[in-house]
Amino acid sequence: MSARRSFDARVRDALADPHLKIAIERTTGNARTKRAAAILSWPSYPAVRDLARDIKDHVIANLDHYLVQFERNALASGAQVHWARTGQEACAIVVDICRKAGVRSATRAKSMLGEEIGLPHALADAGIERVETDLAEHIIQLAGDPPSHIVWPALHKTREQVRALFLARHHDPGALETVEAMVASARRELRARFQAADAGISGANFLIADTGAICTVTNEGNAELTTTLPRIHIVTAGIEKLVPSTAHAMALLRPLVRSATGAELTQYTTFHCGPKRAGDRDGPDAFHIVLVDGGRTRMLDEGLAEMLRCLRCGACLNHCVVYRHIGGHAYGGTYPGPMGSVLTPIFDGLPQTRDLAQACTLNGQCQEVCPVAIPLPTLLRGWRDRSWREGLEPATVRWAVRAWRFVALRPALFRLVNSVAVRAMPLFARGGWIRRMPLAGGWTDHRDLPRPAARTFMAQYRSQRP
Amino acid sequence: MVQKPGPTPREAPNVGLFVTCLVDTMRPSIGFAAITLLEAAGCRVEAPLDQTCCGQPALNAGDRDGAAQVARRTIALLEPFDAVVVPSGSCAATIKIHYPELFHDDPAWKARAEALGARTYELLSYLADQRGWLPDQVALGATATYHDSCSGLRELGVHAQPRRLLAAVEGLALRPLAGSDTCCGFGGTFCVKYPAISNAIVGEKAGHVEATGAELLLGGDLGCLMNMAGKLHRTGSGVRAFHTAEILAGMGTGPAIGELP
Amino acid sequence: MTDARSAILTAVSASLSRRRGGQPAPDPDSIAAEAEALRLRAYATRPDRGPGPLDVSFMERVVSPGVAATAERVAGLADFPVVVRRYLAAHGLSPSIALQPHPDLLALDWSGIETHDRPGLDEPVAVGLALGGIAETGSLVFHSGPDAPTLFAFLPVHHIVAVEANRLWRGLEDYADAGAGHPRNVNLVTGASGTTDIEGTLVRGAHGPGHLHIVLIGGAG
Repeated sequence: MSARRSFDARVRDALADPHLKIAIERTTGNARTKRAAAILSWPSYPAVRDLARDIKDHVIANLDHYLVQFERNALASGAQVHWARTGQEACAIVVDICRKAGVRSATRAKSMLGEEIGLPHALADAGIERVETDLAEHIIQLAGDPPSHIVWPALHKTREQVRALFLARHHDPGALETVEAMVASARRELRARFQAADAGISGANFLIADTGAICTVTNEGNAELTTTLPRIHIVTAGIEKLVPSTAHAMALLRPLVRSATGAELTQYTTFHCGPKRAGDRDGPDAFHIVLVDGGRTRMLDEGLAEMLRCLRCGACLNHCVVYRHIGGHAYGGTYPGPMGSVLTPIFDGLPQTRDLAQACTLNGQCQEVCPVAIPLPTLLRGWRDRSWREGLEPATVRWAVRAWRFVALRPALFRLVNSVAVRAMPLFARGGWIRRMPLAGGWTDHRDLPRPAARTFMAQYRSQRP
Repeated sequence: MVQKPGPTPREAPNVGLFVTCLVDTMRPSIGFAAITLLEAAGCRVEAPLDQTCCGQPALNAGDRDGAAQVARRTIALLEPFDAVVVPSGSCAATIKIHYPELFHDDPAWKARAEALGARTYELLSYLADQRGWLPDQVALGATATYHDSCSGLRELGVHAQPRRLLAAVEGLALRPLAGSDTCCGFGGTFCVKYPAISNAIVGEKAGHVEATGAELLLGGDLGCLMNMAGKLHRTGSGVRAFHTAEILAGMGTGPAIGELP
Repeated sequence: MTDARSAILTAVSASLSRRRGGQPAPDPDSIAAEAEALRLRAYATRPDRGPGPLDVSFMERVVSPGVAATAERVAGLADFPVVVRRYLAAHGLSPSIALQPHPDLLALDWSGIETHDRPGLDEPVAVGLALGGIAETGSLVFHSGPDAPTLFAFLPVHHIVAVEANRLWRGLEDYADAGAGHPRNVNLVTGASGTTDIEGTLVRGAHGPGHLHIVLIGGAG
């Protein structure tokens, strides 16, 4: 199936699902309202946004410096630092660490980068049991679904669907009459798994260059149980997650959390620095950090440097009219919404993913709500430009654009074409509206087309002039 | 209907009216309304006869070379005027903001594009901000709701001005539209390239419009208005749509979008 | 033979050099100066919580809906066990707690309560002493160490935590500036564990504690 047909099929499935619409609106509507309230109560927010953008741009402009500084300090803290050019390489490193340490079971805290590099598959292929501990990730692991939002990966699931999953797969679910009961069942189900895990795998929201620590920003407590109980903690993180210091992380935390959920901080902001120390009563014996490039250096080179500012807050998703109607799965990649439409062509190649940049109205709300002012519409236009240059646009589109340009460069022809159009279109009209017209199915399948006036503006204007 | 010029009528500028291809073909009354309003605001108005399209279709399709060709032609056509006024936020933004970007490798054309852009305005914001103009003795007893088209809103800051102008229309009661700053799903060619998604978006928008209970839907971009009006009509809604310029020029008693004269 | 580290660093440096138009990379001192200037800009933009006393501001914040801890104050640390006994009774909990092995806590009078120094997987109650608190966000600060195992804040159902009023920082940066050390784990805990992953319904106690009770020690009140 062509890429366009697959995209259309996923969109069709999404639009046909009445539960999905309700679910998306409930989650994103709530997030929009809460974010708006948080921003409203913070008059400095515009200055904060500039600062957040400037901090990330500063790191990007000095990325090599901060990578080296981070590595030095992480090593000094007793961590082991690994580098991976590709997602595959990163997975191989993780599997290798696990194999060498005899890891049979690994707990995971939510990490979109882990999804991006295909870590679940790599662990499965290596015969390592993967236990997702974030509630939403646990749900989609049981369901075999990909995530549909970067902050609420299971938003597409109804409570009835979750109940059915837990009844079938939990050891001691009980009746599960309420959402509270479902959460409690998941807590019980995962408790022993936290303890039994040989390794805990997490991502990182920030990599702190001047201490070599990593920072996780979560709300359930699973990240800390994942990274403290097992004897090994493995972090996989994109190289763009660097910040100069803890204070810079804090400056970014404020807009990040407010943009994501409207809260000021999540319940658990944790800085992890190296393995267990002498005298520590708990903590992992080994701490591994896998720094992943996975296309990020390409982004630097290919006009996408601003995308490296992304804090993964999800605000652009929550405000995108397209995401809000088609949901996350329709995008066909790890990341949906505007940020996903910019990133996915890097990971999966433009030919397979060109629809993402095209299926956008360029309305700009994403950029408006981005806490680091990423010019998302401009970056999406950039993909469109490239798609055109590389001849990836369908022949019909190329033909139509070329025909339009031909006419637009020739005013007499332009006026002629328009005059013909305003004479032809009324043939399909009843009263003032056209319900169906050849070549206009894209419009008239769903809405009526107003009939034009008898003469164009230019025809009337010219005849009025002396 | 005498309309006073604004508080500080400077010399009568020579305004080039860029009507846009959609207005030219689908609803010329918007172009004539623009002329009426600009003259009432003390401008000398001319619509250059050889205007065609701003080039958005090529630009949005990624055809930068094609868009640049159209842009060069359009710049040369409009340069002679003191100001260029456009009854559409998206077309005005294309000329004002995107033309200079098209020529980032060509200093000479970039300079010309920037110079033109500095003098290019969306119609309603031009009337309110540059001319300080308000309608005088224009009356329309009706309830209306307002949709902020995205390009005008986010690229050009058009938000307060249409409301200020409409507030001076006697008898017109504006009701707030839930999600007035949410995209209507037109997006230029998006609505015909991805019709199912566009339909879902405009369906939601139509619901919001209906929920206001207003008789009229107003806005500043014909593409958006046609999209919303077309959906509203298809669903059997009685809401009638006009371009704001038409209301301000006293054409609100005439045929709305999709109505015969 | 290129290894991944040199491949990545080479690619990054080359790309940044191109972006600078071939200009040399800034030296570490100017990078640090730029980073410092950025750090300082944060102060002017922080949310204004008013100039009032930190303990009042902290106590308001921790019980606000966004944090939803419960809280009370006592005059001195000696009163802490009384609070704990009362909490256990009020919640119908057995008088058995995991007690954080901090000397200041161990020195208190826990008579009538069984104490152990390690929280079990399904520990009902853990009692601790935070390093400090942050008034801006209503957060408790824990540093891992011999007298402060990390798991005390994450395993129990109920977490009862004492924090000294004179160990409160005004804002996030004030804590960062204080240079309180770089332990293996720094936890900023802001309220009880929660999730909205099922139909957006907020449920407390996902994996971490469902109840966080904060006891402020001392302060003007």
